[in-house]
Amino acid sequence: MSTAIIDARGWQSSFDLKTGEKVQPESDAQRIVKEVLQKHPYPGDMDKASNRWVSDTALELIENYTPRFVFLSYAAQYFSLRYNPMTDENRSKLISEALNEAKRFIELSGYTPIIVGTGDMTPLIGNIDITRLEGLALCTNWSARYAGLYEPSDKDMTLLNSHPFIEKIIPREEIVRLFNGTPEQAQRVPEFLMVARKGYAFKALSPTMKVPVMTPSDCITVPVFIPGSDINDITGIRDELEKLTAKKNIALIILEGAGVNDFPLPYRSCINGKEWFTYETGDAQYLTISSGEHRFFDYPKGYKYYDETDVNNDFPFSGYFKSIPVNTFASSFPGRSIAVGNKSMFMHMVTGADICIECFSRNMFNQGTMAVIHRDDK
Amino acid sequence: MQCNYCERRCEIPEGKTGVCRMYTFSGGNIIERFPHRWSACSTSVIESMPFYHVYPGSRCLTIGTASCNFRCSYCSNAHIAKEDPELQQEKMFNIPPVELVAMAKRMNCRSIIFNVNEPAVSIPSLIETSREAEKAGIMMGCLTNGYMTEESADILASIFSFFNVSLKGLSDNFNKTFIGIGSSEPVLRNIKRLATDRYVEITTPVIQGENDNELNSMAEFIAGINPSIPWHVFRLLPEDEMKDKEYPDISFINNALTEARKKLPYIYFHNFVGSDWVNTICPSCGSVVIERFSLGCGGDKLKTDHTTEGCCKSCGREIHLL
Repeated sequence: MSTAIIDARGWQSSFDLKTGEKVQPESDAQRIVKEVLQKHPYPGDMDKASNRWVSDTALELIENYTPRFVFLSYAAQYFSLRYNPMTDENRSKLISEALNEAKRFIELSGYTPIIVGTGDMTPLIGNIDITRLEGLALCTNWSARYAGLYEPSDKDMTLLNSHPFIEKIIPREEIVRLFNGTPEQAQRVPEFLMVARKGYAFKALSPTMKVPVMTPSDCITVPVFIPGSDINDITGIRDELEKLTAKKNIALIILEGAGVNDFPLPYRSCINGKEWFTYETGDAQYLTISSGEHRFFDYPKGYKYYDETDVNNDFPFSGYFKSIPVNTFASSFPGRSIAVGNKSMFMHMVTGADICIECFSRNMFNQGTMAVIHRDDK
Repeated sequence: MQCNYCERRCEIPEGKTGVCRMYTFSGGNIIERFPHRWSACSTSVIESMPFYHVYPGSRCLTIGTASCNFRCSYCSNAHIAKEDPELQQEKMFNIPPVELVAMAKRMNCRSIIFNVNEPAVSIPSLIETSREAEKAGIMMGCLTNGYMTEESADILASIFSFFNVSLKGLSDNFNKTFIGIGSSEPVLRNIKRLATDRYVEITTPVIQGENDNELNSMAEFIAGINPSIPWHVFRLLPEDEMKDKEYPDISFINNALTEARKKLPYIYFHNFVGSDWVNTICPSCGSVVIERFSLGCGGDKLKTDHTTEGCCKSCGREIHLL
């Protein structure tokens, strides 16, 4: 059983991650984690101290749990880049500051780093309004470049096919073929996947979100700092982890919003997708990195999320995740592992680490932190 | 000309606007400046609004517009409610009511709920939407601050079947300091009026040290209307002008509700993840009749509805539900 410990600032509770039932009594690992959570309240997604929180929390956890593998995600700069207008110079500065925070962690922890940039962003030129179709169009998972389309009318298709800001419209069968999907996986893929041209984002049904000023670029490659390796695809990172963790303590560090143009370290340019499809930062990209295989189907772009989240009560504290993704590196790693990140309720699902700590923010409202203990028997 | 939509009753000169900036005076009439413009259009489950006693577990289409007639210092939607609505138009959804309702049908929504800002600032668009919704057999509900005129309260009661009214504080001092209005009297008046023929829940965000001393008086007020009215007591999430304030102490507020719980059977203390106080307890036998997950900040969810035809399975007591 995986245990979730939620710290809502001054109020901690433990739950069965899958059922949401309260759990008692506390294990030693829970006691350790509770103390770490209490000591490190989350400052907020766009707070200047947000990335520092990742390092400090991880260092504290390392001291108490002595893991061999650490998976970190620094995302504060991603939120700032996405929502705050800034010059190219300031954008680079923000990425450098995030890297400096990661370097501070590396220096203090002594772990050997692998650093992955999730891809840069491009200024948002305009939106593609898909709210008034006769069929149904959906964007998911903060996606901007991709949208799913269901039951479009002939009129919809004529409009969309001639839309100047839509790059392509891919039928379900093509997606299933590209990623070797099973018939069961195919059922969750939208009838069509629409891809926006560079600088454009789909505007579909959504709650009141802040309006972004940047949108993910079409990152055919992303930068990976991995000295001594000759990998050229993000699916190759998993094998490198297998090799390197056999010899030393490794920290896999994800720098959100960093692309090949502003990555402040020597890097290998790694393919970030397959054929026409490129990953945006999010669960699919993280899972591809941590599992070494393409993971389009776990939560397909543009899928009908509400048909799953509204009726399935499993994993109530895990956002749209409805099961623990399989085959992540840390889930089968025999040594101890931890993960810390400031990108919402995310790390405990995409990393598979023994102990994960993450911010509990929804739509950037800071509600505290959550730790998940997947296993404490190592 | 005087705008009579909200209790402020702004005098609006020709071509100008009032406090909310959503109406103007033109051609001898007060007219809506941005009809059919929505800041949000999305699906959700009804518990996350929150409505705890309205069709538990059902899906709703949530909508909102821009601006507000309040100036709450802790507004969690300040980028919508406090910004100039004219400057927000480019990012708004432009969807006519007939299409909005069609969308709700297409996504199997049982209701349409206005939940972002104050509905009194967009009454004409909401009247149109309700006409289309009625034709399609979809009910409408809303979250409101209750600061509308008596005339508008009647109009809103004709649009919406169910309400969650925010009762933010009772004292003049609190309302002046944190809300930007002189008195809570119009809100109290409208809660009474709406509860006469519409389904009502009430929400109160608690700012520790500022309005927690009023919880018992609020409970008495609610009990005086109908003790079965569900009351959501929110732990304030410090946002906007209060972003740097301490998060209120959960145990302290929970203890402050001890007396209120004797007056009202359906008190829920939440707006934070993992709350222990989101289940519905049968007022007669104490059985848990509806279980929920508390995900905080507009994310609550039904876990299990144990009622049988709206009654407690253990003792048969009718639970106050719509």
